[in-house]
Order: sequence, then C-alpha cells, then structure tokens
Amino acid sequence: MGKGRLAFAALALALAMPAGAADLLFKASFDESAEGPYNEYDAARFLTQATFGPTLGEIQRLQQIGYNAWLNEQVAMAPTLHTPYLDFRDGLGEDVYQQVRQEAWFMRAVTAPDQLRQRVAFALSEVLVVSDQNSAVDDAFALANYYDLLLQRGLGNYRQLLREVTLHAVMGNYLSMRGNQKENVTENIRPDENYAREIMQLFSIGLVMLDANGQPVLSGGQPVPTYTQATIRGFARVFTGWNWSGCTANEYEWCYPDDTHQVWWRQPMVPFAAFHETGSKQLLNYTGVSLAGGLLPANTGANAATADLDAALDNIFNHPNVGPFVAKRLIERLVSSNPSPAYVGRVAAKFANNGSGVRGDLAAVVRQVLMDPEARKRASAPANAGKLREPLLRITQLWRGMDARSGDNRYREGWPDYYGGQAALRAPTVFNFFLPSYSLPGEIAAAGLVSPEFQIATDTFITRMSNEIAGKVYWFWRGNPELSAEDVTVDLARDMSLANTPSKLLDRYDLLFMAGAMSAPMRQILLDDLNQIDLSGGDDARRERIQDALWLMLNSPEYVVEK
Amino acid sequence: MTNRSRREFVRNALCATASSALFPAMLGKLSLAQAAITPGTSVLQGTGYRALVCLYLYGGNDAFNMMVPRDAAHYATYAATRSALALPAAGLLPITPTVAPADGAQYGLHPRMGALRDVFESGKAAIVANVGPLLYPITRAQFEAGSVPTPAQLYSHSDQQLFWQTPRADTSERTGWGGKLADLFFASNANPILSMNISLDGENVYQAGVQVSPYFMNAGGAETIWPIEGEWAARRRAAFDALYARNYAHPFERAVVQKMGRTRAVSAQLEDALAAVPADTAPFNRFDQAWAALSPAREVPWFARQLQMVARLLAVRGTLEMSRQIFFVGMGGFDTHATQLVDHGELMEDLALALKTFHQVTTDLAIADRVTTFTASEFGRSLTRNEDGTDHGWGSHHLVVGGSVNGRRIYGRPPSLLADNNPDDTGYGQVIPTTSVEQYAATIAKWYGLSDTDRATVFPNLSRFASADLGFMNPAPA
Repeated sequence: MGKGRLAFAALALALAMPAGAADLLFKASFDESAEGPYNEYDAARFLTQATFGPTLGEIQRLQQIGYNAWLNEQVAMAPTLHTPYLDFRDGLGEDVYQQVRQEAWFMRAVTAPDQLRQRVAFALSEVLVVSDQNSAVDDAFALANYYDLLLQRGLGNYRQLLREVTLHAVMGNYLSMRGNQKENVTENIRPDENYAREIMQLFSIGLVMLDANGQPVLSGGQPVPTYTQATIRGFARVFTGWNWSGCTANEYEWCYPDDTHQVWWRQPMVPFAAFHETGSKQLLNYTGVSLAGGLLPANTGANAATADLDAALDNIFNHPNVGPFVAKRLIERLVSSNPSPAYVGRVAAKFANNGSGVRGDLAAVVRQVLMDPEARKRASAPANAGKLREPLLRITQLWRGMDARSGDNRYREGWPDYYGGQAALRAPTVFNFFLPSYSLPGEIAAAGLVSPEFQIATDTFITRMSNEIAGKVYWFWRGNPELSAEDVTVDLARDMSLANTPSKLLDRYDLLFMAGAMSAPMRQILLDDLNQIDLSGGDDARRERIQDALWLMLNSPEYVVEK
Repeated sequence: MTNRSRREFVRNALCATASSALFPAMLGKLSLAQAAITPGTSVLQGTGYRALVCLYLYGGNDAFNMMVPRDAAHYATYAATRSALALPAAGLLPITPTVAPADGAQYGLHPRMGALRDVFESGKAAIVANVGPLLYPITRAQFEAGSVPTPAQLYSHSDQQLFWQTPRADTSERTGWGGKLADLFFASNANPILSMNISLDGENVYQAGVQVSPYFMNAGGAETIWPIEGEWAARRRAAFDALYARNYAHPFERAVVQKMGRTRAVSAQLEDALAAVPADTAPFNRFDQAWAALSPAREVPWFARQLQMVARLLAVRGTLEMSRQIFFVGMGGFDTHATQLVDHGELMEDLALALKTFHQVTTDLAIADRVTTFTASEFGRSLTRNEDGTDHGWGSHHLVVGGSVNGRRIYGRPPSLLADNNPDDTGYGQVIPTTSVEQYAATIAKWYGLSDTDRATVFPNLSRFASADLGFMNPAPA
C-alpha cells in the first residue's frame, strides 16, 4: 500500500471514529508509523508473532496505525477474562467442566480484541505451568481464574506476577505449597521442597548461571550452578504457613473448600503464623545480592510469613539470571527457538531496565521481543531462526484467518489435546508440553539447535493434526447443509470469487498464513493442483480449490516452520 | 517433582542433546540432580520375541465379586458383608488351585466367567490377590495412626490410575513402567520406525517412556492422513508428495519432511502387513465366533476388537521386524456405583471370553508362551455397598494370562472380607492391599527380561516389599 493510500485510508477510518480515537489514529499514522510495517507482509508476520493469527482487517489496521500505536493500544487494553464466561455458563445451569474452560480459551484466542495480552498469557502459561492433569487442581473455575491472573499481570511487572502466581490457590495445590508447614522433628514433618525447587528452576533463574545474553557462565569449563540443596531447603522454609483464604489455624492440616466455599480457589492464600518457619533461611547468593551472603535472618514477628515471602521473592527477582531467562522463554514462544545471544541480551536489558529505571516491566520486555531487529527483519535473523508452530496456534491461525464461528457463537473445542497433544493448562507435568531444551535427534541436535515443539510432533499427532485441519477445512465450512448451529465453521464464501483465479487465492493465503514467504516452487505445486480442478463444477469446484489451497498450505513444511 | 523424575527428565534432556553444544549445560543439570545416570545396560539383541498386553479396566473392577470364596465359612462372611450384592453360592464356578491360597479358602469365579475358568484350570491363568498402590507395606493400625505413608488421593480415579501405571505411588510423573521397559528394550527391534509400544486405546501413562512415546492406532487399523489416502485423493496426494519431495533450506523444514515421511511409512507398513492377516479369517475370527455363540444379539465388544488387532499385529511381528512389543488395551464401564449386579455380570462375561479367545488365538499362532496379558485397574470396590452398587476401594484381585504363566494358582494373600473389625480394612470397606503394584509389575517385567541391575531404575520402591518376584511367571522361552 502506497503512502498516499495509507493516509487516505487512515483519514477515512478516522472520520468514522470517535474524536479521541481519531486523535490517536492521526498521531499514530503520521507521527509514529515511521517504524513500519511498510507492507502487508510485514504486518502479517508481526501479527503472527503477537496475536493468535492475522486477519485481513487487522493487517490493514496495523499498516494504518503502525507498530507502536498498535502495541500501545494493546498494552492499554483491558484483559478479556476467561472466568466470567465459565460463570455465565454456570449461571445458565449448565455443567461446567474443563471443556468449557477450553471453549473460553478458544473464544478469547479467536475473537478477543486484546490479542497481545491473550498471546502473552498463553506463552506464560507454558512457563508458569499448572495443569488440569493433576487432580489436585482439576477445578475448571480455579484454572480459569489462574489463567485470568496471567492475563491481568502478563504485561505488568514480573515481580508482582511471581508473587500472585506463588500465592494463587491453584499453584499452591499444584506444587504443594498450600498447607506446607515448618519443621517438626517429633512428628517427622519437614517443609515440602516442591515449590522451592520449581520457582527457581522453571519460573525464574534456571539451573546454571547465565551471562547477560543468556549464555551459560563457565568456570573451569563447567557451568556454574545457581543454587544448592541448602538453597532449596531455605526457600522451602520460606514457603511455609500458607493456606486457603478461608482456612483456620485449627483446621490447617485438613481444610478444603466444599461446595459452598469454592471462592477459596479464587482468593490468594493467606499466612498462618503458627505454621511458618521463623528461623533464618539460606536464599540465593549472587554478586550484588542485598541480603548478606543470601541469608535471610530469623524473623519471629507477627507478619513473618509475608515478610519472608517478599524478601525471598525479591531475592529471586533481583538475581541476574531472571532477565535472560524470561527473555529466552518469551522469545521462544513468540518468535524463534534459537535466538542469537545478542537478541536475548537486548531483551534481557529491557527486563533489567525498561528505560525508566524499572526492572521486570513485561510490557517493555514483550515490546522488545517483538520490535527487535532480529524479530522484525528476516535478514537480521540467523539462518536457522524461527520455530515449529505449536498445534494450538495452527488451529487459531486458521480460525482467525478464515473468520471461524458457530451459529450460536460458541467454540466447543474441549479436547484439542486429542489431535495436537496440547491444550491450555493441560500439560502433562510442570515441565510443560515440551522442554525448552528439547533438541530433535539428528541434524538439529548435531547443529546445536533446540526445537522444543518437535517434542510433541509424534507420529500420532502429525497424523491427527493433518486430519484435524482437513476436517476444519473440508467439512466444517459455513453453509455445509450437514452441519448444525453448534459447529464452528470457516468462511469459505469470502474467497469464492478469488477461487476463479488460483494465483489470487494463493496470494491471499500466502499473506494470511505465511506472511508472503511462500517460495516460488511451492506456489507452483499448489497452482498445478488447483488448476486441475475444473471450474465447470461451479461452486463445488471453487470450494474445492479453496479447501485444497488451505489444506496443502497449512500442512506444508514451509508453513509449519514459522520463519 | 521428585528426585527420581527429575533424574529422568535430565536423562531425557541429555539423550536429546548429547551431541550438541548444550552438552555442558546438561552436565551442569546432572551434577545438580546429584544423581548418577545409569545407562541402559540390558538392551537385548536378537533374542526371542516377547510381548506384554496391558488390559486396563477403567473405573475400578469389583474383583471381590470376580473371585468369591465358596467354602461355607468364608462364603458366610462374604455374604454377610456384601448382603444384597453377594452372588449366590450355587452359581459360583469352582476353581481348583494346585496350591491352596494363603487364606486357606476355596474359591469360585463369577458365574459368567466360565471362559476364564477354562484357562485357569488349564494352568495358563493366575490370579494375584489384593494388589494395589502402596508406598510401604502397611497394616490397619498403621493406617489409622497415620504412621506409615500411603499414596496420595486414595480412591481417586485419576490418581490411582497414574499410580497403577507408573507404578509408583509417590510421583506425579507421567511415564509408566511399560514406557520405561521400552526405553531399555526398544533398540532390540530391527524396525527403526515403528514404536515398540502400541496403544489400541489412545493416551495412557503406562506406555509413555522417557525416550519412547507410544504409537496410537485403533481396533480398525493404523490412523492415516485421509486427505491423501485412496484413489479419490490422487491429485491432492501428488501435490502433497511434491511439497515433501523438495529440498529445503531450513533444518526444521528438513526435519518436518523427515518426520512426515516416517509417519506415513509407519502407517503404510502397518496397513500392508495387516492386509495379510484379515480380521475375518482364522484364527482371528475366533472373536466373532465366540460372541456369536454367546447370543446372536451380542456383538464383539470394542476392547475385544482391540485384542483382535493385537493378535493380528502379533501374527505379523516378523514382517514388522519386532522382537519386543508392549500393547495397551482399554475396557470401560467398571465404575459400578449402581445396578452393579446386572452391569458387572456382563463385564465379567466379556472379560473372561476376551481373555480366553485371545489366549486361544495366540496358541493358534504358536506364540502363547511369548505373550503375557495382565489386567490393571485403578482400584477395587468397597466391600460395603451403597444401595445397589459399590464405592471406590483400594486393593483388588488381578488376572495374568499366557503360556508362560505359572497358572492355576492364587498368588498373594486374599484379604479378610469381614464387615467389622476387619484387619485388612481401612474402616470403610476399602481393603488395604496385601501386595503392591510394584511387586506385581516387577514379576511381569522380570519375565520380560528386566535385569536385576535395572530393576531399581524402573521400580525404585520395590525393595521396601518382601518379594520382588511373586512367582507367577515361568521363565520366558529363549
């Protein structure tokens, strides 16, 4: 789109908008869009990383307002939460189990306006993992509430996010911090080390010391551990004395929310002084640590549990690993499995200081992840940049790109793990669906690359994903008389006129699904297929061209590896 | 996460990255895990075929109505406790173990399990009494005092399913003992692409290993990518093939091409092999014949169709170049909270007939002594009843069938069935297991070839129990 057309489009849009929005739009269009996107392909590529998939409308709009204005809008936008939807269905007297939570997830992913927030929350849900596969937390409302926390704090400060995650009843039950109590030698009780271990290994600093670019620090050729068993014991002692909001000291060891106290699942855990370890605790010790030697002194004060918790979270949060650790996790989920150290370093620097002296500002971190030259310019990225698309993201991209909806606006997609090995908050363990360090044996491992998403690309799931996308394209299309109002359908009618000219059809899908990166040989293979479908077949033939174009593209090597 | 599962996690990561630049980082993880990594030491090459078939009874089988005491004294206790759910003594099918069971009782099988009685009396089926997940041996007094740890979330379907399959009652890890055996044995298969573990009933923890992930197929055959299958798909298949025949610049794209090729090769290989052994030919049509003989109205149940597919796969093991395999079959409907007498009877009949028929087919295939089928189920039912059904229990009897089974015996100690002051009861009719799942599983795994040195890797808590080998398996043929 040329500059003149862009300005005209912005003007036309502005005229149709409220005054405040128009100001914003003009400011964005004429003052801030110098950073791009410079064409629709750049816009689509950005939206693939920052949302659950580009739509024609959002591509156009991003081109009009530019990256910065788009990001500002998204960061300012209120979260579209999941729990209210479960409450709504519950209020209708329906049974609400995990499938309704998955429905809420798909509905938000496909339709919510706060796409950046939704996408980042999903990324965080694969780092700060809880799962309905653990029966201690298999309450759908509780898990939705945990997801809402990720939505509400995902673009806030990591310190606050970490605190609220730590005290969430779901996490408390998932990693057995709730009900944890101080050492009692006579009864042979020792503080549970589960949460102490995972908050360090998986949520904040990892196992080995990292430099500012996320590379392991070596000493004598060996990586340097971030903590010892003594540190784990120290944190285990910190995380004692917390329980359900409605618990009492007398009931500490057995309180549990019955049907009339389900709200406990949605309230942060609260401290119980009698069960909190008041002695000193060995915490992390690192250069620049504020506690001398990383040792938290004994505290017998009335608020010791809370004070210890905050001191311990500060101790973790200020560890130099947190920035590069979080940077890597977010880059992996949004942009690329194998970022250059410099890219990690630039994002980590934003974590350390958002430009205003604030540490842990996730909005600034996410902005850097997305606006970094290595994310924005293919030419700036290493040759191996990119990632295997996650199964859930393949589904949402199809549905957003093809305006999928059902007759009653519901998204009954309760068991995507059946075909993709993945569903929101349904990882098999706290180690997520796949490990960040997973490296597919063979060429990828030999090259020293990691390929996390390949870990769930098993024979079964490769087959089922191919078939699932086929079902969603060849069968679940709007207007298929065999379907019911409950079925989620893609809108093929929109593209029927393009189907008369296969190259135009491919142009559109190349934009929506591959950000214009389809190679000439791949295009030719698809054209050869589509041209064999004789248009004398009328609408059926046009539809088949669309369906073939979609299915072949969405299952092609060039597509499934997002670059 | 426990140290144990952490160790496996690390080992997985290590295996995956052994040749990569991440190796030093992984060594760091190793030292932190404070664990020696035991390399797989018992990988067998070229020895005789062996297969395990895990028949999972979803819902919790009421085995206290599957095997019932029939001598007067023990039956009276049973009848008093079970009251309206007690099976009439006259209908029980007597079994005659060659060694008296530990409680000295005489037993009979459920009246509709005549097929199983035949196999038991022929010496090819054994009953293992009162098995369940345990952390340590535990008495009722210890249970009530809370002085000996017990598995978390007793009586919960999902947790106890996990503990039966891992089979460790102290972990939430999602790998099972079938998967861990596969990690040790998969290299003995000449077939480089077909997983050693095949599930006929979808996802399960039992077959998930650290390195080996199970292959899912169904009773009808391998799952295939249907838009490129068959005559009608020729045009699209040509395009798809062309996309996957290109040379790609990105190593991830090359990996995708390789994986897709492998996936399609596996399903094609299975379909080709299975075409030689159609389900409607002998001996596989025994399943249809068995249920037709039962009643013209009865259809072969789905889990029996799964066993039929396992039998066909066994028949083509040579074509598929497999020497070690583990199969998973699932049967549902056991959560008999209500109308138990009617529902459970039919389940017992189907179960018995399926086990007998499958064993017959393996005998026809001259492979019966190389195939061991065993039941698993998250728990037994409560001895007490709720109106016309039972609640979730803990310990339960299990069945092991195959040519290598030292059968016609009841292993382990059957529990007391007393309603009151029962030393084997938690107090609510939920029976404390007298044999742990690890003992049960380890006995089968030993037959399968698990060495004593690797035993602790797969069954780390086994040493807490009196016996690592319950004796119900004869040595496997060479």
